[in-house]
Amino acid sequence: MGTLGKVVFWLVTAFVLFVIVAPLAWIYLTAFKSPNDIFTTEARKLIFFKPTMENFNRLFREFPFWDNFLNTVIISVASTVVVMVISSLAAYSFARWNTGKGHLLFTTISTRMFPGVVAAIPFFVMYRNLGLLDTRFGLTLLHIYFNTSFATFLLYGFFKEIPEELEQAAMVDGYSRVDIFRKIVLPLVRPGLAVTAVFCLVWSWNEFLFSFLFTRVAARPVTVLISSFWGSIEVQYGPMAAGAAIVILPTLVAAWFMQRYIIRGLTFGAVKG
Amino acid sequence: MRTEAFSEVQTGYAVARKPTIWEVLTSEKYFKWTLLIPLLVVLAIFMLYPLLYCAYYSFHQWGMRGEAIYVGAQNYRQLLNDKAFLEALYRTLKVLVICVSCELLIGLGLALLWSREFPGENIVRGLALLPLLVAPLILSLLWNFMFEYDFGAVNLILQALGLNKVYWWSPQRALYTICFITIWQWFPFSTFVLVAGLRSLPRDVFEAAKVDGASPWYTFRRLTLPMLSPLIMIIVVLRTMWLIRLFDPLYGTTRGGVQTELLDWIVYRTAFVYFDIGYGSTMAIFSLVLTIAVCAIMFKMLMRALGGTR
Repeated sequence: MGTLGKVVFWLVTAFVLFVIVAPLAWIYLTAFKSPNDIFTTEARKLIFFKPTMENFNRLFREFPFWDNFLNTVIISVASTVVVMVISSLAAYSFARWNTGKGHLLFTTISTRMFPGVVAAIPFFVMYRNLGLLDTRFGLTLLHIYFNTSFATFLLYGFFKEIPEELEQAAMVDGYSRVDIFRKIVLPLVRPGLAVTAVFCLVWSWNEFLFSFLFTRVAARPVTVLISSFWGSIEVQYGPMAAGAAIVILPTLVAAWFMQRYIIRGLTFGAVKG
Repeated sequence: MRTEAFSEVQTGYAVARKPTIWEVLTSEKYFKWTLLIPLLVVLAIFMLYPLLYCAYYSFHQWGMRGEAIYVGAQNYRQLLNDKAFLEALYRTLKVLVICVSCELLIGLGLALLWSREFPGENIVRGLALLPLLVAPLILSLLWNFMFEYDFGAVNLILQALGLNKVYWWSPQRALYTICFITIWQWFPFSTFVLVAGLRSLPRDVFEAAKVDGASPWYTFRRLTLPMLSPLIMIIVVLRTMWLIRLFDPLYGTTRGGVQTELLDWIVYRTAFVYFDIGYGSTMAIFSLVLTIAVCAIMFKMLMRALGGTR
């Protein structure tokens, strides 16, 4: 690359990064603005303003933010734990024995194409009859459903990378199948388990359709609370930005530290970024 | 004699220990199926049951109260003449085509730019991938505010530059604004899939082409693109799967108003706002069949691509 090429390269790169990062930074700027600075028509005030904690104070005082936040934490952690157990067992079976000759794996992955509303209709009726609407348990079950296929497929790729010879050697040493899985395979696949678990946490953290349809007050996750600030009567941009700033922080941190694995995760393990 | 031998066999059986359930489950023959039991249970409950349920109610009229009335294929006939539904379907396909093609074009351009290693690469990649894991709902709320007519950052900047303010949520523009939000969040995805692809291409082929005096355009068209095609396929299929079910960005912005109603939104409105379970189920089944039809065309290729790059 010549000097001109380098200049063009960095100009384009800087522009693209600005387009990506500026809106995210905008959330954090808005979160610290007073209502007067939010509803301004002066372009200067987009960046220059007097920071205030007013929005955060209102958010914590007037809205059940931390209750809803706790719901999100409980639901995403609980569903992820269950998903990891189900998926690691299944993925190992698929990877080692090709169980179901690919058809079962295909069926599993195709649940990801399943429109959420198709599952939502019957479960809404069923939950209403069972009294599971607006419970954390009920929503956790639905999160288990939509994360299982993803986790199974991603883990399948990680299990595939473990050489079969290791397991054969262990069998010669008299290990049982269960011991091989517990003492040899699982420790080897630990990085893959960690990556998959973080993805499940993030998907569950971000999930909106089921959360919105199946909860009202008690089990409401924080994404639904934030969406309620954009009402038809009044739009509460201040608390909305403050809430969003807190809620997206863990996912931004996850994205930064998982950058090597994001592409792999989003392509179900097909592309190693 | 005979009875004695018989009783001997019997005792032989009685002495051999019957394997415990645990031993059967972890035996060489059944262990692989044992591992799958939890998954199969989840699939049966959360996939098979809703599917059968919706298929059943799609032939009934039911508003969540009273008895469901069997109406035959009437819901399906109604669906094919339902202008609102067909429009939502058309809009969904439009969004699909716009988003996938824009993401691919931007992605390809940036991938070519970033294909060689450069200083600060980790920082660029880290920043560029940030939006991918943020909740689409929150991003759409953010952009909804940024595109606000009076106070939105975009219009304020346009004004400061001496340009006219734009009414981003007008019925003519709203759908494209939603496309923009989606493309903004997802172009880093296709970019870095293609970067990974470009970096794994064999160097010697390209050097040979250079020695032979092939023009850059010719090399790109005849070598780079064909070798990237499995990855482009992966992007198209995965993005189609996600875009066909676009819901969150609608909730954060127009809530299905100003001519932006998409497929999943109209199903939601029918089943959960009007509580018309029968007709909603019909739409859901249709939407599922459509997803499968659209994806099945590409799915074989995807599976091959998934297998090929692994």
